[in-house]
Formats: sequence, C-alpha cells, structure tokens
Amino acid sequence: MKVFKISQAELDNMVALWSQSRKVYRPAVGRQQQAQPDYGPGWRKAEGASPLTVPIGPAAGSVKTFLFPQPETMMTYSLKTGDPDRGLMKEPAKLTESQVVVGLRPCDARSVLLNNLPFREDPFYQANLERTVFVGFTCDESLSTCFCEQMGGSPLDSDGLDIAFSRAENGYLAEILTPKGEELMAGLNLAPAANSDITALADRRKERPGKDTAILNTMQGKDLNKLYEAPLWQPLGDSCINCGACTFICPTCYCFDIQDEVVKGSGRRIRYWDSCMFPLYSLHTTGHNPRGRKLQRTRNRFMHKLKYFPERFGPFSCVGCGRCVQDCPVNIDIREVMADLLTVE
Amino acid sequence: MPTINEKISEEIRAQAKKLLAEGTVAAVIGYASGSLPMTVKPLVVRRPEDCGKLLWNTFCVLNLANFLPEVLKSVEPPRGPRDPKPEGPLPKVAIMATGCWSRNIVVQIQEHQVERERVVVMGVGSRGMVSRRKVEALFAGREILAVEELDHDLIVRGSGFEEKINRWSVVRDNCQTCTHPDPLLVDVRIGEPVSDRKNPNPFKQVDELEAKSAAERWGWFTSEFATCIRCYACRNACPLCYCPTCFVDDAKPQWVGKSLDATDTGLFHVMRAYHCAGRCTDCGACESVCPMGINMRLLTKKLNKDVLNLYGIEAGMQPDSPLPLTTYKINDPQKFIVTEAGAGKEGE
Amino acid sequence: MTSKTNETSQTNWEPKIIAFLCNWCSYAGADLAGVSRFQYPPNIRIVRVPCSGRVSENMILSALKSGADGILVSGCHPGDCHYISGNYFARRRFALLGNLLDFIGIEPGRVNFSWVSAAEGEQFAEVVRTVTEKVKELGPATRLVKKIEAMQAA
Repeated sequence: MKVFKISQAELDNMVALWSQSRKVYRPAVGRQQQAQPDYGPGWRKAEGASPLTVPIGPAAGSVKTFLFPQPETMMTYSLKTGDPDRGLMKEPAKLTESQVVVGLRPCDARSVLLNNLPFREDPFYQANLERTVFVGFTCDESLSTCFCEQMGGSPLDSDGLDIAFSRAENGYLAEILTPKGEELMAGLNLAPAANSDITALADRRKERPGKDTAILNTMQGKDLNKLYEAPLWQPLGDSCINCGACTFICPTCYCFDIQDEVVKGSGRRIRYWDSCMFPLYSLHTTGHNPRGRKLQRTRNRFMHKLKYFPERFGPFSCVGCGRCVQDCPVNIDIREVMADLLTVE
Repeated sequence: MPTINEKISEEIRAQAKKLLAEGTVAAVIGYASGSLPMTVKPLVVRRPEDCGKLLWNTFCVLNLANFLPEVLKSVEPPRGPRDPKPEGPLPKVAIMATGCWSRNIVVQIQEHQVERERVVVMGVGSRGMVSRRKVEALFAGREILAVEELDHDLIVRGSGFEEKINRWSVVRDNCQTCTHPDPLLVDVRIGEPVSDRKNPNPFKQVDELEAKSAAERWGWFTSEFATCIRCYACRNACPLCYCPTCFVDDAKPQWVGKSLDATDTGLFHVMRAYHCAGRCTDCGACESVCPMGINMRLLTKKLNKDVLNLYGIEAGMQPDSPLPLTTYKINDPQKFIVTEAGAGKEGE
Repeated sequence: MTSKTNETSQTNWEPKIIAFLCNWCSYAGADLAGVSRFQYPPNIRIVRVPCSGRVSENMILSALKSGADGILVSGCHPGDCHYISGNYFARRRFALLGNLLDFIGIEPGRVNFSWVSAAEGEQFAEVVRTVTEKVKELGPATRLVKKIEAMQAA
C-alpha cells in the first residue's frame, strides 16, 4: 500500500485533474447546492476550482445512489407502429464510464460492502461498482448522531474505499488501497508520507479500534420470536407515519420495485427504490397484505436491519451514519430501538 | 418559575390521567420528549400510569390529527372486515389540538373519517411552533446539542457555544402568518385561550411569487422540488391524506412515474397539493417533516388563498357547512372560461 | 414528412391538443360543427367523457406529461348539465387547478376550459380556433412533459 502526504492545494489540483477525464462527484454543501443536484439529491460535480470541503458526519445524500441509482434502466423497448423492433426488449448499453465519488465517510464506504452482500450477483450493481472509484475521508470529529462504532464500523476505518484521506499535519495522508485507486493516482507526482505520519495514524487507529461486535453477538443470541413479539413495537407502530424518509436516506436500505414507463411509444423497464414502510410493498395480488398494519411495517424495517440481515449475511445492515436519527419526522431513533431490543429476554 | 409550556404540560398530564382513569377515553394522543434537541415523539397513551411521559413544547410541529382515525380504530373491539359495527357507543380518544389541528379534526368529521362524539379535544392555544430548520440554519456548520425553551427565547447550546435567540424569529412561516391559533373545538381547555391574530396579509409569500413572470415561477418550481427524494413524508404527515391507495401507487393508468424524474416529482407535488384544496389548514406538517427541507407548503397556501378569495371559505372553520369542493354556487366566478367576455386568470 | 421533423421544426410544427368533451353538450357540439361543415383546425384529439365533472386533474396532468401541447376541457353551460350539477362542481375544481398550474409556471393558454352546448356548432369551432391559436403562439409544450430518452443517459 502506498501512502502519500498531500496538501489541500494538491488535493484540489487532483480533483481538477480527475474531472478532466471523468465525472467526479462531491457532497453538496448547504441548501443552495442541494437544490441543484448533479447526481441524485445531495451530490454535485466537483471541478476542483473551489477548495473541497467535506462536512462533518455523513454527506446529505447517501452513496448508494451511485451503485443503486434511482432509477436504473434495466430494459428498453419501442412500441411505435412500423418500428421493426417493436415490442422487443433490449438491454441498454452497460455504462462503463469511470466515475469518482469524493468525500464519503467511512460509514458510507462500509455501506458499499454491506450492499454488495445481497447484490453480489446483481449485474447492475456490479457494473456500477466496477466503474466507480471511492475517495473517502476518515472522521476526526463526529456528530452526536453518529454511532458507527456500535454497528461494527470505525470513524478511522478505510474499508470499502479505494483511496482514504486522513487528517495529518498541514494536509492529509492519502492511503492508496486498491488497484482502482492506484490507477486514479497514476502519473501524479506526490511526496511519499513520512514514517512518523504513518505511525501517528496507526496509533490513532489503535486508540479507537471500533468494529465492536459485542452488540452484534448479543443480538444474534436473542430469540427471533421473542424479539418479534416484544411490546416495544407498539409505541413505534403508533408514532410511525410510514413515510419512506428513513429508507431512502439510508445507505444500506436496498429494496426496489420494477415498473414499465412508456412515453410516446418509447418504453423502459426501470428499477426504482421501494420502501418496506409503504403498504404497496408487501401487497399481494389477491388483495391480502401480510404487513397490513403500520406496526408490522415499522417492525419489519428494524428486524431486517438488526436481525434478519445478520442471520443471513453476518453483519448488521446498518452502518450507524445517523441520517435516519436526524431526519425521522417522528423521531424514531434506531439507537433506542436497538437498546430496547437488547433488553428483550 | 415554570414556563408557559411547562405549565401546559403539567395540565395535559393531569387531564390525560383523569380522562384515562375515569374511563372517559381509551387512549390519549400527545407528545413525549425526543432523543435529539428540538424533536418530540408522538405518543399514544393507553394507561393512566404512562401519562407522565406527555409533554408540550414549542417543537410540536407534527399534526396529531394525522393519527386520530387510526387510533380510533385501534381502540374499537376487534372485528372482521365484514362484521357489523358493535352496538352501543364505541370507546373515545382524547387528542391535543391547537387551532389548525382542531380545524383538521373538523375536516375529518366533515369527511366522515372521524365521529365527533368519539373525540375528546384537549384544546391548547398555539403560540407558534419553532422550525428546527430555521434554528439549524442560524448555526450552520455547528452542531446543536441542546436547546432550552424559555417563554420568549431559546437558549441554544453546542460544544463551545451558548446563544440566546428570540423564539418568534425562528417560528415556522405558517405559524407566523396564522390568524386562528386557538382551537375551534374544545372539550377540555388546557392553558389560557389565545386570541385571533390580525394579519394584514397572510398570503404574502404567495403574492410575491404571483407577481413574478411565468418563466420565473417555473424556475422556482423546478429548483424547489429538485431535491425531492420521493419519500412521501409530506403526504404521510398530512391528516388529509388517508386514501387506502394513493394516486402515485396506481399502476394502470400510471398517473405519475415513481422514480426520480423532474416531471414525475413535479406532478406528484402538484397533485398532492391539489388534493388538499379547500381542506388544508396550513398546519405546516408537510414542510416540517421534509428531510430535504422543501417548502411545498406554498402550493397549498396558494390553493388556500384562491379558495378564500373565490368561495369565501377557510377549511375547518365552519363545521356545519360543506367543504368548498363538495358544494357550489350558481354564480361562482368563471372568468377562466375561454368563452367568457374578458376571459383571463380567475380571481384577478 | 416524418413525425420527427414535425416535432422539431418550428415552421411546420402543428400542436396536438387533447380535448375532453362531455358527452351531452360539447361532444354533440363538435358533432354539429362537423355536420354543419364549420371549419376548425385539425389539431384536437377528442376524448369523450360522460360529464365535465368526470375530468379529474389526473387526466389533465397525465395528458400534459405525455406531451400534449394543449388541453381543452369543455362541458355543458352552467345550468344545463345532464346530471344537474356536475359542471358546477367541475367549475370550482377547474378554477383552482387552472390557477395552481399558472402558479407553478405553466404558460397561460396551455390548459383551457370552456362551455359549449349541443346547439353551438359554430361556437365549438370558434373555441377550437382560439385555443389552437393560443397554443401555436406558445410553441411546443416543455413544462411537466416527461421525456424518456433523456432519462436513460442519467
């Protein structure tokens, strides 16, 4: 692994250089920028002209939008009269154009790995993963709503990133972690980091080891049926309004639905974000809905993240970014739900 | 000395406990404290001993009437979808209500979603609710860790700072322009009544936009809704939105596409607002719950303005008269009809 | 001439206008215009509805979304509704919808409302002429129109 020492000016030059040959995105900062998104809500094109600032805590938009776009075109077709290919489903050309996402935090980087578990054989997710380079920043400061360490992550972690920037004296240490990262840095004339800087970072990581699996282990030991029938769901079901805010801002919610859209004879089959909070999500063709009540839907989201997903794949399906904690209209706090679940006997 | 809202909270707890203990109501809909500064949790209390959790403060932005039909249903004895309604009166539910929320309950009664005799309204005069976003905007880049509420000020604390700000300056736009802060329906009065406010022009924001050109308004519309993530929090926080199947979920015909497309998002917001025409009380819940901070309330405010100007009706103010779109007058204005002499924009 | 040049070249462009006509008056009015051989522009595509009260905002917006350059909704004159009061209710709804669409910046003249009776063949032709002229002046619709091709690249 190569480690470079990089100043803020060098970082901005690098972003400028990258943006000449690829699309580079960074988090939108402030309301005005968020109102003019370039890629999904919350992301802006980075040109390197202005200094790159990464807000404390997770970016406004989660990184899943690059790998699991809203919407993803799966098929296209024509319904025009006289078109020889009328009614033929065609796969759209796979996007191969490289894109760089700059400024994600370790929580979002980890979500890329977690979503890769259910999507490991998904051609669309894999194609997007292939063409995206993640340049992240480890966290020196965190928000009061951050809880990545409880969920098995760490603020200084670099898992899931191609290049990880960490604060050092007068600039950053850039760790080049993958071949994709090396390719991006190729041809740049940069100073290798001093050993003292590298050890300082390693020491900081030792001080905050994170990656706590104690909660995960306790949760794994709980009986699913007891958790399912715990009284704690009643007040949550009462207060939840069943909007999809938590699922859409969540970096690890990956449920989708598929629909066809036709305008003036050209059609496409798209996959778009769905939410287990919506009654339609679980509605059967017969009219029966196994999760017909609010309580059942609210319960499903937390049980999926904290119990079903770990049983199937190992880790929690939550990275502790705290976006849902900040933005839930009725202040349902996953940290409180988790604490309550851990007390269920 | 306790603040006004602390006194109100105390009264709410006492009254709720009394109503539950006497068996007058089966549940009380109110608020409990939240896990973050400036947040509260809606809470349904079903046992007198849980009433201690209830509170009232200046951050109660979500409209509790939204929960009323569902809670009413939850306290009924369980029965199948085809079983007849049980004989005798059904259990009652008590609910906290300010001016706009009580008007929403009136609309719910007019639309037969709620039966008046099953609701006990605990009326609270509203002093205006604070917009969390406005406070956060004042402290951009600094995380707020605690906010203490005084009668006329807020004390905002974070790591390394403590500032006092005027409460009214960060009250939500809809509360600042509100003219009927006191509840219309009151079964149990909490605190002191608040008198109607005089507001020379409650539709100032709408007027400002109307004065612009069509191109400028289109520019405003497209940029305002560009950040929408289609989470439907605005729809689900609204006490008027109770359709079992929303028009966005119709697949055949598909009125609105469901992914992030500027046209689909715009259409969703126009239709959502339009469905609230003549029913919206400008409670501001939609705007308060939006995770992206979109000011979609301006659309319903525009409709409220037209309904008032053209038909002289404010939603929920007249429990005994029909809703504006379920009635008509023979001589309703119709300048918008192209064949009319002097045809043009309606209401000008 | 292919439909593509039809849409793109401004000089040859002819608007498509969707007309929702009530079965009892305006549709019959259009019929009368036809049998009486009153000339009117061939730009309208008629959708027959039982009553102007049947026309919901979903239909109007859906037509705009699908690329209609103009909309005309026409029903019986107030007082003449076959269902007694359908158009009175419609009138309130259309007034509010028209104003809301104007508010968000849809050009005035894109969405039009009229009353035409079964006996008013000439008036129907006149309404279509007025509406077509207005829409022609505005040019092809772009606002609230869904474009699929443009989306695929995103």
